[in-house]
Amino acid sequence: MRRVAIVGYAQTQHQFDMQKTREDMVFEVVKEALSHAGITRGEVDTVVTASTDFLDGRTISSVFLSMAVGAYLKDESKTEEDGTSAAWYAFMRILSGVHDVALVEAHTQGSTFNPHQVSFYTLDPLFDRQIGVLNDVSAAAIQARMYMSSYGVSEEEIAMVSVKNLSNAAKNPFAQRRMPDLTVEEVLGSKLYYHPIRELMMSPISDGACALVLASEEKAKEITDTPVWIEGVGVCQDFYLRDRNLLELDSLRKAAKDAYEMAGIRDPYAELDVFEVSEKFAHEELMIYEALGLCRRGKGKVLLERGATEKGGEIPVNPSGGALAADPVCATGLVRMVEAAKQIRGEAGEYQIPGVRRALAHGQFGMCAQKNWVFILGGEG
Amino acid sequence: MPYLKEERPETLGVEGEWNIGAYTWKANRLLEEFVEGLKQRKLVGSLCFGCGKVIVPPRNLCGRCHRKMEGRVVVSDVGTVTCFIISPPIKRGKIKVLGMDPVEQGLIQEDEVIIPVFVKFDGADSNLGTLLIGADPKEVHIGMRVRAVWAKETRGELSDLEGVEPLR
Ligand SMILES: [Zn+2]
Repeated sequence: MRRVAIVGYAQTQHQFDMQKTREDMVFEVVKEALSHAGITRGEVDTVVTASTDFLDGRTISSVFLSMAVGAYLKDESKTEEDGTSAAWYAFMRILSGVHDVALVEAHTQGSTFNPHQVSFYTLDPLFDRQIGVLNDVSAAAIQARMYMSSYGVSEEEIAMVSVKNLSNAAKNPFAQRRMPDLTVEEVLGSKLYYHPIRELMMSPISDGACALVLASEEKAKEITDTPVWIEGVGVCQDFYLRDRNLLELDSLRKAAKDAYEMAGIRDPYAELDVFEVSEKFAHEELMIYEALGLCRRGKGKVLLERGATEKGGEIPVNPSGGALAADPVCATGLVRMVEAAKQIRGEAGEYQIPGVRRALAHGQFGMCAQKNWVFILGGEG
Repeated sequence: MPYLKEERPETLGVEGEWNIGAYTWKANRLLEEFVEGLKQRKLVGSLCFGCGKVIVPPRNLCGRCHRKMEGRVVVSDVGTVTCFIISPPIKRGKIKVLGMDPVEQGLIQEDEVIIPVFVKFDGADSNLGTLLIGADPKEVHIGMRVRAVWAKETRGELSDLEGVEPLR
């Protein structure tokens, strides 16, 4: 099989109500990713984007982006959902042997249309929409309650995830919520939505975009001395909300297993140096630890309490601040890939973890993380 | 609903609403420059310093060159019809064109047709969609020369440009 590497990337400074149009925002992030790779638009063979028509406010929403994303008169496709789906698809386009260089882009401007309202429209119209108050936040509350009561997890322990990630984000210039001195009390004092979900336990509404350049092995070596290889990938889709065991992230567990197998990883705790995951709600991060095989079921809080997932811990998770620090919906997973690649290339500045050789990036989409993508990235050596 | 079958043995229609609610599109401030130009009865376009193309109404990005269009130009208010549509007869209150009811506005009588056209104004490389006013549908043709028709009082709105009329 061909090898494929990340050779360039960029992200916006994620924020609420960015003073840029969708097109201008995408144009700038794409320009920056191309220049980070040191290539021109002419060298790009195929362009793959990710967004949703609902969030973009128009159908077939990639139509107007062709100019901004550099796809004019090029092979172009749009995937839905998270940006990791676009990366996954672009990866396969290169594996096919037809293309050598792919540009991947994902974005959302949450300030233009409330993403939580969008989540309501993903519900089954015949039954679940009739409930009226079911949406991504209340569904997360259902899941959090199940998790807390099954494994004896407290609100304080969930709030600790927010404290870790949002104080990590203080060092990340691209993050939206940067809260160096945040305390558990402040998280528990933030606005209550659906119990136990509070404002600082859920991701913020963000405007932002992310782009990366993928290349085949031969091309990657021409383009850069520090390619970041895609060593493994796994994608998995679970049942819809009602039919699922919400206590488990089974599709993430399966996606991670596939990615580990492809990358030849037996013990993720020992073999991976940093994790960038899409925790849209604080409790999800604990469940993600478990699904990634970093601890047993229900023991996520132990890793957190021990400090294992802190920046200085054995398995740092979200040194960038993760999705709790910024959530430009469709870009969020792609940002995780960029953050993981930055760690491998030693470009993470003040939140650099020393000696990272292999990293995991995770993207999710759908209520209670129905669908999950896992990428294992690695540097030379 | 004429498209629904009269007998539907295997499916049910469950009625509901899919109200998407308020959406706020972010627009580039170029839109302001364009309508400010309309107020002065001028057609403002953007010029790409990479390929020299002029786009009216102005756009911020050139897809060919993958760069911002930094130049601004005023193009002629005389141009050429590049394509057109002849509508079915129009009823009062049925459609809005550039925010106005063409019957209400007195641009056409009830049951007359409207003729939406794409016009390439002299000096522009792109088409602007507008209405052809005061023309016999039989005389409309591709390549027809036309001139902008301005509102009596311009207010800095898209409807300041009411349409185009045959250049005689
Ligand atoms: Zn140009």
